[in-house]
Amino acid sequence: MLNLDRRWIFLAIGVVSIIPFLVGIGMPISTTAEVESIFDYVNGLDKNDAIFISFDYAPGTQAENTPMGVAVMRHAFYNDVPVFITSYFPLGHGMAIEGLNYVTNPAVPGFYQRVSFEEWAVFREAGITDKDELVIAWENDGNVLPEGAMGWVFEGRDFAMLGYAPLFHLVILGMTASIEAQYPQDIYENQLYEMPMLREHKSLREISLALTTAGSSACRSWIVYGREKVGLPVAFGVTAVMATDYFPYIQSGQIIGQMGGLRGAAEYEVLLAENGITASTDKAFRGMDVQSAAHMLIILLIIMGNIAFFAGGFHKKTAMKGRG
Amino acid sequence: MIVMVGGILMMVQYFIPHQYSQAVFNSYTEWAPIVGAFALILGVGSLTRVHSHKIRRKAKNWQYSWAVLLPLFGMPVFALLLPQSLAGGMEEPSIFHFLFMHIQVPIQSTMFSLLAFYIASAAFRAFRAKSALATVLLLAAVIVMLGQVPIGEVFGRWLPETGLWILRYPNLAAKRAIMLGVGFGILATNLKIIFGVERNWLGGAGK
Repeated sequence: MLNLDRRWIFLAIGVVSIIPFLVGIGMPISTTAEVESIFDYVNGLDKNDAIFISFDYAPGTQAENTPMGVAVMRHAFYNDVPVFITSYFPLGHGMAIEGLNYVTNPAVPGFYQRVSFEEWAVFREAGITDKDELVIAWENDGNVLPEGAMGWVFEGRDFAMLGYAPLFHLVILGMTASIEAQYPQDIYENQLYEMPMLREHKSLREISLALTTAGSSACRSWIVYGREKVGLPVAFGVTAVMATDYFPYIQSGQIIGQMGGLRGAAEYEVLLAENGITASTDKAFRGMDVQSAAHMLIILLIIMGNIAFFAGGFHKKTAMKGRG
Repeated sequence: MIVMVGGILMMVQYFIPHQYSQAVFNSYTEWAPIVGAFALILGVGSLTRVHSHKIRRKAKNWQYSWAVLLPLFGMPVFALLLPQSLAGGMEEPSIFHFLFMHIQVPIQSTMFSLLAFYIASAAFRAFRAKSALATVLLLAAVIVMLGQVPIGEVFGRWLPETGLWILRYPNLAAKRAIMLGVGFGILATNLKIIFGVERNWLGGAGK
């Protein structure tokens, strides 16, 4: 059995990865303290706060990282918490745009209707920048929330797409003094000083949370340059293989919590759905069925490999070879 | 000398909450990314020189050098120089966006996805309970793997809870020890660089 052609193993992994997507088992997922602490923290924020969501990963880990950023962005939008969106890497810039586009895509259930910076310029110039007043004025002006939308999100009031900047660890350091000095414009060339959310939150000292969704150790920069410099509250959303590395930061209180891999994102989706913030769970939850099947197969392969190894007497040969 | 002065200055300013100290810090954080961006020019120049040289010499696999150079210069042209009327720019719909979403994203996602296949194959061939330590490692891996997925709860709540216990305590202790060791190493190396003891990073290997 040890000589099994590995193409059979590849085929088996392919099959168990595809079938759960087609069948849609939907096994229940319990939540952990590491994710609940992020959820509870974001749930306690309101329109007077602001958070950063940083898409610090390349497309390779998007299946794990994107649902984390999307889930927290939805949560923030639901509570009218302004969101600054950044990226540590050039490729993460594209991921950030896709994340925002997904949350504001009318084809996706539970989307938020996006209003560009130019569209609400008249209201801004009239001094209407409070979210509640803005929504009333906007709807009184004849704008109707599309069917299925969860609410309005105004560019510059509810979100600012800052994107990637070179040497991002220094950008974090610089933002401890001034966000505008590092990002005079957003990626759409809107001036940041004109944005109400920047006027109310000028530096990282005035930011309530930075969530870094990362596929590398880039997330540590938020601790080193943000948390330790100005006490910025930080939360991690990292890939499953990295999650084990950052438990010391949770215990030391340097991060509020951590979403580890697809499981972490799925837990956040479950918390959103259970609390009525979204109508249902999303991609991460669906992906967990695939992970269940794949993990079971890998464990089965480990057991088979060990049975074959010991039944075939290979362990004795190895021991004798070692003595020789 | 520049490194020494710069390094000491940034260390010292961290502990001096004075307006002059803050002014130095602000100037540094505004200038550093600008200076750093110039490294991009060096990088692009170096990459272009190496690959154009390979193409000229028709060195082994020189065709692949075109696969480096064409996107290297093509993507900025599509994003920055091509007018929007001809599908320029970075936003959807544009050539840049199309190439990013339909070539780069699938390529990188595919590369990462391949790991699942190789991990499965490696688990079958290499993950053996050959010794007591290997058996402990194997059992811990199986418990954490099952504890991380919903199907693990079918075997009872003890399984995910044991998996979390492994992550929260033995794993945490080992990681903290490693991080402390690495941290002290970084500190020692930084001090050696700042005070000129370590000069290999300048090139020339100590000449």
